[in-house]
Amino acid sequence: MKLLLSSIINGAEHSVLVDPRDTLLELLRDRIGLTGTKEGCGNGNCGTCTVLMDGAPVNACLVLALEVAGREVETIEGLATAGELHPIQSALVELGGTQCGFCTPGIVLSAKALLDANPTPGEAEIRQAIAGNLCRCTGYGKIVEAIATAARRLKA
Amino acid sequence: MTPEPAREKEQSFKVIGKRLARVDAKERVTGEACYPADLSLPGMAHAKILRSPLAHARIRRIDTTRAEALRGVLACVTAADFPAVPLGSTIPMGEVGYDMWMVAAINMARDKVYWVGQPVAAVAAVDQHTAAAALALIEVDYEPLEPVLGILAAMAPEAPVLHEHVFTKGVEPRPKTPSNVCSRVLIARGASAPALAEAAASARLRVEVDTAHQGYLEPQVALAQVDANGFATVWASTQGQFTAELMIARMLALPASKLKIVPLEIGGGFGGKIAIHGEAVAVRLAQKCRRPIKLVLTREEVLQGGSGPAAGAVIDVAVAAERDGRLLAIEGTYRMDAGGLPGLSPSLLMQASAALYQCPNLHLEGFDVVTNKPRTEAYRGPGGIQAAFAVEQAMDMLCQELGLDPLDFRKRNAAVTGSTMPIGTPFPAIGLTTILDAVGRHPSWLDPIGTGAYPRGRGLALGYWRGTSMTSAAHITIAGDGRPMVTMGAVDLSGTRSTMAQVVAEEFGLSIEDVHVETGDSKSVGYSDGAAGSRVARTMTAALVEASADALGQLRSRAAEKLQCAPHLLRYAAGVFRAPPPGSAAISLAELMQATLTDGAVVGRGVSSKLPLGVEIGAHVCDVEVDTDTGLVTVLRYTAFQDVGLALNPTAVEGQIEGSVVQGLGWALLEGFDYAADGRLRNASLLDYRMPTALDVPRIESVIIETPVPNVPYGVRGVGEVPIVPPAAAVANAIARAVGVRVRRMPMTPERVLAAIRAARAQPH
Repeated sequence: MKLLLSSIINGAEHSVLVDPRDTLLELLRDRIGLTGTKEGCGNGNCGTCTVLMDGAPVNACLVLALEVAGREVETIEGLATAGELHPIQSALVELGGTQCGFCTPGIVLSAKALLDANPTPGEAEIRQAIAGNLCRCTGYGKIVEAIATAARRLKA
Repeated sequence: MTPEPAREKEQSFKVIGKRLARVDAKERVTGEACYPADLSLPGMAHAKILRSPLAHARIRRIDTTRAEALRGVLACVTAADFPAVPLGSTIPMGEVGYDMWMVAAINMARDKVYWVGQPVAAVAAVDQHTAAAALALIEVDYEPLEPVLGILAAMAPEAPVLHEHVFTKGVEPRPKTPSNVCSRVLIARGASAPALAEAAASARLRVEVDTAHQGYLEPQVALAQVDANGFATVWASTQGQFTAELMIARMLALPASKLKIVPLEIGGGFGGKIAIHGEAVAVRLAQKCRRPIKLVLTREEVLQGGSGPAAGAVIDVAVAAERDGRLLAIEGTYRMDAGGLPGLSPSLLMQASAALYQCPNLHLEGFDVVTNKPRTEAYRGPGGIQAAFAVEQAMDMLCQELGLDPLDFRKRNAAVTGSTMPIGTPFPAIGLTTILDAVGRHPSWLDPIGTGAYPRGRGLALGYWRGTSMTSAAHITIAGDGRPMVTMGAVDLSGTRSTMAQVVAEEFGLSIEDVHVETGDSKSVGYSDGAAGSRVARTMTAALVEASADALGQLRSRAAEKLQCAPHLLRYAAGVFRAPPPGSAAISLAELMQATLTDGAVVGRGVSSKLPLGVEIGAHVCDVEVDTDTGLVTVLRYTAFQDVGLALNPTAVEGQIEGSVVQGLGWALLEGFDYAADGRLRNASLLDYRMPTALDVPRIESVIIETPVPNVPYGVRGVGEVPIVPPAAAVANAIARAVGVRVRRMPMTPERVLAAIRAARAQPH
């Protein structure tokens, strides 16, 4: 059995038929084709599927698709506007904060949630904000540096 | 901050050595980068794998009838659907080849299972829910056998034998009974036993290392399609499209001309994506049900026997020195846990552990041992961190025994260019002395460690990794606008497209934006070995220097014709051919290509197959604080010194070093597989198998040193593997300096650290 679901994804309304067993991650990747959100573990431990639900970071693999009915979801595809990268994205590009790239979309969204709430985070706050996002390539240093740089640029 | 490497201060290169952003970074931060799981095809079906619940058993019978009857199930496969790969069958890879009997067993068990999680059957269905439901309907009749899990238990003469056909290699005369010890390697010179007995000081240590995982964030995935003529295409997450092709072709008895592997973005590999894990199964299912098949492993599958983790170990070392610190002997016994099938030869890790010391007496003996656990595979400098955890701690104990500064001790005994390597040949150009001098001058070594709530200590450890060269091929086609379009045979694990764009831009005198680099599929570019052994940047640079010269030579001939000038008189710079004065006529590459578009393609070819090794050397300094109430070890500061030959892109080099160090710290302190007595993995999730988060590690500082390798284009060395070698020993040595105890098991979890502290306190002095 499929159910009809409506929600706002990256600012546009989507009405989709979903299986009640589908997660938000499956809704995004398999039903709507937004494959920028990745699946690293499927049980909320790695953070690669982080998206923003009503502005707050969630693991899309732990949210049922039906839970987002009537709510706003922001994914990595919604961040760059008119081809302009978000400052978090451009700082990651410049400073070498993305390697294999599989964790990057989730990290970008965790960082965005942080900077939306706290425009002047210290290093400890940045590390805390991305502590739910595993990265196996960078050792985190360049990511932390990029988020700090983006915060400075957003404030300026 | 990191000091700028010497190269950046020089003006000799315009593009190489610059801190340029990765050419593929934008698509990564926007989510556009395409990994195979992101790809779907019309009519695509989904596969799932049934895995053994037992660690050691004979398969009596598999019945898929009920699964096949389930609505939505399209096909089932078992070992009966694959031709049997004979024992001893190999495919080409490096010096020894890759065992195909083993690859076949990793992908589909035949007759016997050797670990929990080994595949025994697979299903294709219209969706994943149906495929999962079908797995439960497959009946497998097992005859359980006694499993053997520990390395030492498996080596005991009375241990149940996993493989009746395995007789220990490297022992004379050939043993008459099969054994779980697959091979034995001996590297010896001089007489270590009397040297140890008579030396002024000696240190002995046994360490245990738990199995760990590479921890790539993207699980194994494959998308397979077979066309009406039987031609198969696999979109894969692989470290080598050609190796994957050879493996899949051999498993399916497919001719190479009927199979193409398209490598897409890879979400981390670190050695774990050299072998195939399900790709051939996906192709077989696609052949059977005539639909594209997508197979995506779950994280639990990846951890619980669906991929190859890294070898655990039990290592004994003994080292001895004169009172003045001159090293006299190194003895080591290295027992490596291969898991359920014969593993890598321990030779390289044994050599690595002793390579950086000039030592007259060596006795290194290594064993590759099978146990009923997932067959292990390479992980970044395979075996290096395990062996260094033993040897570098023993060296530190020797320093403590003699009251010597650990850095002075290393300087006293450091290997130099031309000194004898463990295998008896002279060292190629190495800059160990330069590295040690840099450590001695650096704040990370000189700054006071400071005080905290708990004891602090500073540790030093060295690391060596040989790496490999093997084959890399590429070609450069010149586009209609004169720009070089590079197709390379190596996948991009670590920024290869970017550094190779820098190399080609340098060779052509263009900017990096003028060069396009992509990884070719296994039918569009020359054979290349996989991205492993710190080989790609070095060998692909050599291939592209050759391909650039070839392309520029062809362009020169065309330019000579257009400019009515002898080719050798033309001067080429920055994308323009110029005739000599008085005429000084000139033609740009763009004009030249426009003028000669109908003359056929300009394709420059390059291949590198016997490049000298670019051995990797590092020295790491680590400060820790040890909470004596809980055993928690906090890494306060970490500095990695490394000779990289020449940094093609310092940001990329630092990225390799920092990431590699953090993987090493993860294994040192957090990561270990926890097996139950029946061979089940008890921590098969990323919650329970704890990899470092941003809160667990400090900012890693890299100090780049450049001692170019002779006879290698740009003098490039391998970079990515050696930084994972010293961290566990550096941490262990820092713990010992902080609280006076040796933690002999890795990972050095709080529980183990606390136990070591308490045991030391309980001991009478």
